[in-house]
Amino acid sequence: MTAPLLAVEHLTKRFRGATALEDVSLELRSGEVVGLIGQNGSGKSTLLKCLVGIHQPDGGRLVFRGEPTRIRGVADAGARGVGIVFQEQSLLPNLSVAENIMLGKPSASTRGGFYRWGRLRREAERHLAKIESTIAPGALVSDLSFGQRQMVELAKVLALEELVDGELVILFDEPTSVLSAPEIQQLFRQVQRLRSRACVVFVSHRLDEVLEVSDRVCVLQDGRCVAERMAAGTHPKDLYHLMVGSERAEDYYLQSERAEATSDSPLLEVERLGSHGRFSDVSFELARGQVLGLAGVVGSGREALCRALFGAVPITSGTVTLEGRRLRLRSPGDAVRAGLGFVPSERDTEGIVRGRSVHENMVLAYDRQLASGPLLSRSAERRAVEDWMTQLRVKAPGPDTRIEQLSGGNAQKVALGKWLLGRDLRVLVLDHPTRGLDLGAKGDLYGIIRRLAGEGLAILLMSDTLEETLGLSDEVIVMRDGEVSGRFDTHHDPPSSQQLVELMV
Amino acid sequence: MAAAVTTAHHRTPASRVLGARGTLVPLAVLIALIALVSISEPAFLTSTSLTSMAVDAGPVLLLVFGSTLVILLGGIDLSVAALASLSSVLLALWLPSLGSWAVLAVILVAATLGAAQGAIQAFTQIPSFVVTLGGLGIFSGLALRLSGASSQPLLESYAVVDFAAADTLGVPHTLLVVAAVAGLLAAVMRFLPVGRRVYAVGAGERAALLSGVGTVGVRVFAFAVSGACAAVAALLLVAQTQFAGPDLADNLLLPAIAAVVVGGTAISGGVGGLGAALIGGLIVTVVRVGTVIVGLDPAVQNIVFGIGVVVAVALTTDRAKIGVIK
Repeated sequence: MTAPLLAVEHLTKRFRGATALEDVSLELRSGEVVGLIGQNGSGKSTLLKCLVGIHQPDGGRLVFRGEPTRIRGVADAGARGVGIVFQEQSLLPNLSVAENIMLGKPSASTRGGFYRWGRLRREAERHLAKIESTIAPGALVSDLSFGQRQMVELAKVLALEELVDGELVILFDEPTSVLSAPEIQQLFRQVQRLRSRACVVFVSHRLDEVLEVSDRVCVLQDGRCVAERMAAGTHPKDLYHLMVGSERAEDYYLQSERAEATSDSPLLEVERLGSHGRFSDVSFELARGQVLGLAGVVGSGREALCRALFGAVPITSGTVTLEGRRLRLRSPGDAVRAGLGFVPSERDTEGIVRGRSVHENMVLAYDRQLASGPLLSRSAERRAVEDWMTQLRVKAPGPDTRIEQLSGGNAQKVALGKWLLGRDLRVLVLDHPTRGLDLGAKGDLYGIIRRLAGEGLAILLMSDTLEETLGLSDEVIVMRDGEVSGRFDTHHDPPSSQQLVELMV
Repeated sequence: MAAAVTTAHHRTPASRVLGARGTLVPLAVLIALIALVSISEPAFLTSTSLTSMAVDAGPVLLLVFGSTLVILLGGIDLSVAALASLSSVLLALWLPSLGSWAVLAVILVAATLGAAQGAIQAFTQIPSFVVTLGGLGIFSGLALRLSGASSQPLLESYAVVDFAAADTLGVPHTLLVVAAVAGLLAAVMRFLPVGRRVYAVGAGERAALLSGVGTVGVRVFAFAVSGACAAVAALLLVAQTQFAGPDLADNLLLPAIAAVVVGGTAISGGVGGLGAALIGGLIVTVVRVGTVIVGLDPAVQNIVFGIGVVVAVALTTDRAKIGVIK
């Protein structure tokens, strides 16, 4: 067996007492594709960041080409042949594709400190051609789709190929989450091509994907490497069990726990609702205990519809009636007072107030209800917060922990739990509630959604995947170009994904 | 560059050095300053000297308290000193006819002017420094017009002004006024929902808005408090000097803002508070009084405040929140 290209030896990393990585060892050999899976907060991103020097390990070491190595940062890592395709977008949107690809690799694109535009363009074109991309090197990154940007990120890392002798280590941090199916296949072809002179580490939430592209899969759980499997012969289900450490129910979307819509009169009636330039003529009814799924592509108007119902986008025509009362929704405050709650898709900027505690985040919408007279009641608040933290199984050291220290799934539970404190909550609008969450956290949220519906809450749901939309909803409305293009009763006449897609595009 | 953009955990240099809260360093600075001044002039720590320092500190502290709320929102109020000057002019104009009620009237007017700035900022969605810079100009101009561009001595004695200038058992009433305002504001921030909302809007405005928080109201409240505090500061200044003037408080703007940020309140919003403001206010006061006692040129003060503002903001700003720094 050849010596590993990069060996991770007993790596430990702590953040203010919280252990992100504990004694992780991993060997990466050239020509190998290693999958890395784990739930949110299991340490995948931290491990990658240690490999490119964004974080320095607190214990253990990296051995690169047989030499113990300290990597000082992304530039240093790049010079040694370790490149990372970031999960978050690391491109500069106001620069051209070519400038982004060649950024930080000045030798090829400048002379005496001056840009050589022609050379820059040709170099970038060559790197783009390697990934069969047709993106124009002169295009501004801000004009590209997220999928295209991801391909540019890849081209940027591939540009390392020619700067470094010897084999490369290329790290992909959840590259597929924003890509379409053909783009994913193209990416996989690139990964296979890279084998000839690189070792690839591939992080993803999608287990079937990881198995398809990798030779070997390493499973992280709570910062430890709990298992390593050869991909051949391993089933996604097995990986899932290793990852969450518990059984995944056969009934993933808990459809057996569907609430029966009980009341005859609808709770929420939306009639011919419109918002100029966003959507028009949308009508539907929502009963207690009902989950209504909204399907549609970006720009179909479904996001705007949800925001309009919450008073965050102006309504220009039509009516919204809740329990027979016509609502005036001019601000989110109006919606909250009327009994609506909203869990936005942008969790970090809209769902939670970073820098404040779990307690403060959870009581933000309804602290007036818990107050005694005009004065806040911290003890009543604390009881309610602790109660919901237990019920929702929020993993946090305590209610006073700052919310940004929680993992994505736990922060999302707080963003949702905020609404459950309300005594008069009737309707909950969930905008991509499971975005960016791992399977375990998703399962938790499905359980919560079922339970809330069972308790009589009406739920309006937008979700990342059609499977999730179909699995959770009692009724699905499809939107296209700001209008309703189809409706399905998923109990009696469940549509196929194909049917939905045809109505969406 | 790429690393800087994508690193998830931004931490300010201050939080790295001090841990999460960072209130200990301003306190240490305050103690060190007091020690420095009293070593060079032992009389500094006598009760007479401390009392006179407290009186001197009063107006600045009030401006500091008011500005703190606005800065907690992530904004800044550059109009406080000009509004205090205008308030002093209004006070001198109205005392003869309204008597002691003039104080209440001036507080109401100043709070309304402050609230108007908050409302304009919230509705037009422009930076608060622009709105309050405009306010600074308008208030200064109004003060000049109304006063005929000259200082106006109080011609009679008025109960409320005399009270503010007097002391009981050696405790100057200035101190009582400052303590009362501080106590009231601290109670509001802790026990009323609006206090929590100031922090929430400062730390994450979009999330607060989507939790149903009326962000316009919160802004109006903070700026109104800032205005009201400026009016009370004007009362103390008039009581101390027995004069009103269109530029009476103008030189207090830099010390007031320096005090807020030196105390540890971050201009990026959501971090800090009245305790920090108090410590920052005292630091500024010790510098003001200390330079005189030690025998330094008073011009040194502004140099110190200028440096202090830049250093303190550099240490406390949450750069992740601001995104691109311009």
